[in-house]
Amino acid sequence: MKLRAPYLQAAPLAVILAAFLLLPMIVLVVVSFFDYDSVQIIPSFVLTNYRDVLGSMVTWRTYLSTLRFTAIVWAITLVVGFWVSFYLAFVVQGRVTQLVLFLVCTIPFLTSNIIRMISWVPFLGREGLLNTVLLRLGLIRQPLEFLLFSDFAVVLAYVHLYTLFVVTPIFNTMMRIDRRLIEAAIDGGARFWQIVAHVIIPLCKPGIAIGSIFVVTLVMGDFITVRLMSGGQSASVGLMISNQISLLQYPAACANAVVLLAVVLLMIAAILRIVAIRKEL
Amino acid sequence: MIRKLAGPFSRRRLLRTASLATAGTLAGFPTIWAQNIKNVTLRQFGTGVSNLNAIADKVKADLGFTLQMTALDTDAVTQKAVTQPKSYDVADIEYFITKKVFPTGVLQPMDTKRIKLFDKIVPIFTSGKLTPTSQVAQGTAPHTVAFVESKASTKFAPHPTQWATLIPTIYNADTLGIRPDLVGRPIRNWKDLVDPTFKGKAAILNIPGIGIMDAAMVMESLGTMQYVDKGNMTRPEIDKTVAFLIDTKKSGQFRAFWKTFDESVNLMTSGEVVIQSMWSPAVAAVRSKGIACTYQPLAEGYRAWAGGLGIAKHLSGLELDAAYEYINWYLSGWVGAYLNRQGYYSAVLETSKNYMSPDEWGFWIEGKPAQADIKSPEGKIMEKAGAVRDGGSFYERMGHVACWNSVMTEDRYMIQKWNEFIAA
Amino acid sequence: MRRPPVTLTLIGRTVLTAFFCLFVLFLYGPTLTIIILSFQGPNGGLTFPMNGVSLHWFARLFEPQAVGDFAGALTRSLLLGSMVMATTVVISIAAGLAFRRRFIGSGALFTLTVASLIIPSILVSLGIGLLFNLAGLDPTWYTSAFGAQLTWTLPFGLLIMFAVFNRFNRAWEEAALDLGASPWQRFRHVVLPIIAPSVVGVALFGFTLSYDEFARTLLTAGSDNTLPLEIFGMTTNVTTPVLYALGTVTTGLSFLVIAAALAAIALIRHAATRSE
Repeated sequence: MKLRAPYLQAAPLAVILAAFLLLPMIVLVVVSFFDYDSVQIIPSFVLTNYRDVLGSMVTWRTYLSTLRFTAIVWAITLVVGFWVSFYLAFVVQGRVTQLVLFLVCTIPFLTSNIIRMISWVPFLGREGLLNTVLLRLGLIRQPLEFLLFSDFAVVLAYVHLYTLFVVTPIFNTMMRIDRRLIEAAIDGGARFWQIVAHVIIPLCKPGIAIGSIFVVTLVMGDFITVRLMSGGQSASVGLMISNQISLLQYPAACANAVVLLAVVLLMIAAILRIVAIRKEL
Repeated sequence: MIRKLAGPFSRRRLLRTASLATAGTLAGFPTIWAQNIKNVTLRQFGTGVSNLNAIADKVKADLGFTLQMTALDTDAVTQKAVTQPKSYDVADIEYFITKKVFPTGVLQPMDTKRIKLFDKIVPIFTSGKLTPTSQVAQGTAPHTVAFVESKASTKFAPHPTQWATLIPTIYNADTLGIRPDLVGRPIRNWKDLVDPTFKGKAAILNIPGIGIMDAAMVMESLGTMQYVDKGNMTRPEIDKTVAFLIDTKKSGQFRAFWKTFDESVNLMTSGEVVIQSMWSPAVAAVRSKGIACTYQPLAEGYRAWAGGLGIAKHLSGLELDAAYEYINWYLSGWVGAYLNRQGYYSAVLETSKNYMSPDEWGFWIEGKPAQADIKSPEGKIMEKAGAVRDGGSFYERMGHVACWNSVMTEDRYMIQKWNEFIAA
Repeated sequence: MRRPPVTLTLIGRTVLTAFFCLFVLFLYGPTLTIIILSFQGPNGGLTFPMNGVSLHWFARLFEPQAVGDFAGALTRSLLLGSMVMATTVVISIAAGLAFRRRFIGSGALFTLTVASLIIPSILVSLGIGLLFNLAGLDPTWYTSAFGAQLTWTLPFGLLIMFAVFNRFNRAWEEAALDLGASPWQRFRHVVLPIIAPSVVGVALFGFTLSYDEFARTLLTAGSDNTLPLEIFGMTTNVTTPVLYALGTVTTGLSFLVIAAALAAIALIRHAATRSE
């Protein structure tokens, strides 16, 4: 009985992941070797899809652009996320206040993302809320055009969407830091920045790693934010795939997907090499 | 029976009344047993353009069965048609997509003998010619994918046969929408879209197959390019068109590329864009907010599209009968009038006339000045008395179609190039 | 928890507070736009300028729209959210318990769970869509979409459970065992009360992630749309500030729920101090 228990307890998870993750991924890989013409998928074993994906400059440029977005967004969300968590964990007093402030941050996310995406146009547009306020305040004379339909807008929307995914795990690890360690550091004469650099950041490493994984995955796979916020003018790997799906070029989409999968897995493996999440959770 | 009885529908209503005596129940249609039909539910999907709740309500009232509608975006429509053939009974799709969808065998050819008004359908869908002297436009013209050779075939027939892929329901001629208050000069040609005066204030469609054709219209208008068939470009033609798009994009001409109807409306009302490719009801939506917007007819003509209803392969028996009844009902006028009032055109124009006031018919179809205010199907005022429809009458608009939305033979290559354009 | 936190000068505190406020303001930027524009006049659109001020769109929220079916989609989303929530809670707890011991394949299962989290949603969606297609099954929101969403919520749930059980003091359970409690009794009366707060967290995460899930549901929902898909479908026709009214109502309700929860906590505390 005792020996069987873990298997029974883990079975549902294993079954669901096998059915809805492992199998579909196998299908993706298989289909990526299929041939296709303008109307149908032809089961066979061809490498043309991979040749098209890897042999095209567009793919490389698109990956570069997606990686650039990922790097920028990762850096910003990490800095912002760290200090927001720091504020919640160390400056705010009392569990209830912390909880309330955290919940206040989550409320905007309960409105459907599609609606929020639409609302960026009247917020950032030429005649939008932000430009109107800035004009009224006399801070600018002309509406700022780069606010919407630009790389800036894409990064802004990503930061808006994903910072909370960084705040949550970092805040969690910060709350678990033994305050006596910090007190000891203070007693030892450590300055504020020394404490942050030598006590808090090392102890937050698992949280930072998990947050990073979220941001990297979410930005690498995104296809809707980049389209809406750049006004369709920037590319992303996800968008490339969804364009192919829309014309029923499934094998091409699958080949692209397998490449993307490999890239993301490599990036995550790199993060996991630095921090062993499972042990430090 | 206080409702207006007119056209072929009234005849059927009489029949229905006659059948009441035998069937002994209120709902029912002459060809189907009244008791059964009520339990039928037909599942239809398509874009929000024509998957309107008003139609489902009317079906329930007129035919007695339930029409369940799912509105999806353009991409999802194609995917669903092909990959989830059992999840729908009736497909509301566009003709050019049929070129991809029908050969996969997910739809069944429809017997045109069971379509009572088939002979009344606008000839664009049968012979391809609006009038006997018209030229067939470039692109995937609807009649080229409207029929298959036999009941069992998935091969398109070049001429009308007994077996139709779709029964047409809706179509229109698309052009550029402009903000007359902000463009500051008359707009006459497609090339005005890339006029540097509108730098950063122009937009095109980001549905690759359609967007590239808008670009082709622009290039022909500029005189830099002459296509054999804009709707079926060769690789060198695609290369040149995309190179042109990339240059234009890099010069900062475009503010955005839109994908859904709604985006185009928002771009225009918010003043982000003053000239862009647009759809007719989107122009109407901008105007209904009190903002000036013109659906500008252009010298080079329109880019047209058409949609229709297809029946899923798996449908049979009572459900199949119900689907035919539904499609017959669709052509019988009420829906046609509803669509005409939004600026689209219905497949059988003469039946829809019976459901429109002479003034509405004059405004929407004949291009005459409105005698009184023109209202939308929801009762909102769309046009004030005296207004004339942009582009004029049905024949002026549909008679100047330069090309149809299409799927190209080289679409695999085209998508690669389009992705390159977006990535540039 | 009353111990003074990191020593910070007044300036440091002020800077951080200001930073946090700016962050919240930034988070609420689109929400504010949504709230303002939901009071558009009857002829207003989804963007500025305002075309009068009215409550028109809130009234329209409860009427059938020209396209789409809010009520049906919302019901499905709420149902699916609850299903995902319940399943995520149960499976995460079970798996969390399992992972406390070594078992064959535990490493592989853990890797698979992490993979589930990091595989981009569009790929999962495409894969499941193709799988159902090849298997000749109909995708529906309660089968394929349900599974697709679980691949997103389960890793969250399991990671939280890991965090809890890694810090779990086994002594309590052993004490219960010594007193002759059955495995179920040990779980019900010892383990569950200790992990309860985290379980609530898993539940909230599960529901919220499911409710707003788009990419994974896109190719797996079958014939009936969930709310995000329905809204996306509606944008293929003229959409109205009804969408914003929905956003405003959602935001308002969320605030109410949080306020109610706080009031409940305060009441319980009050009662607790009284009874002492």
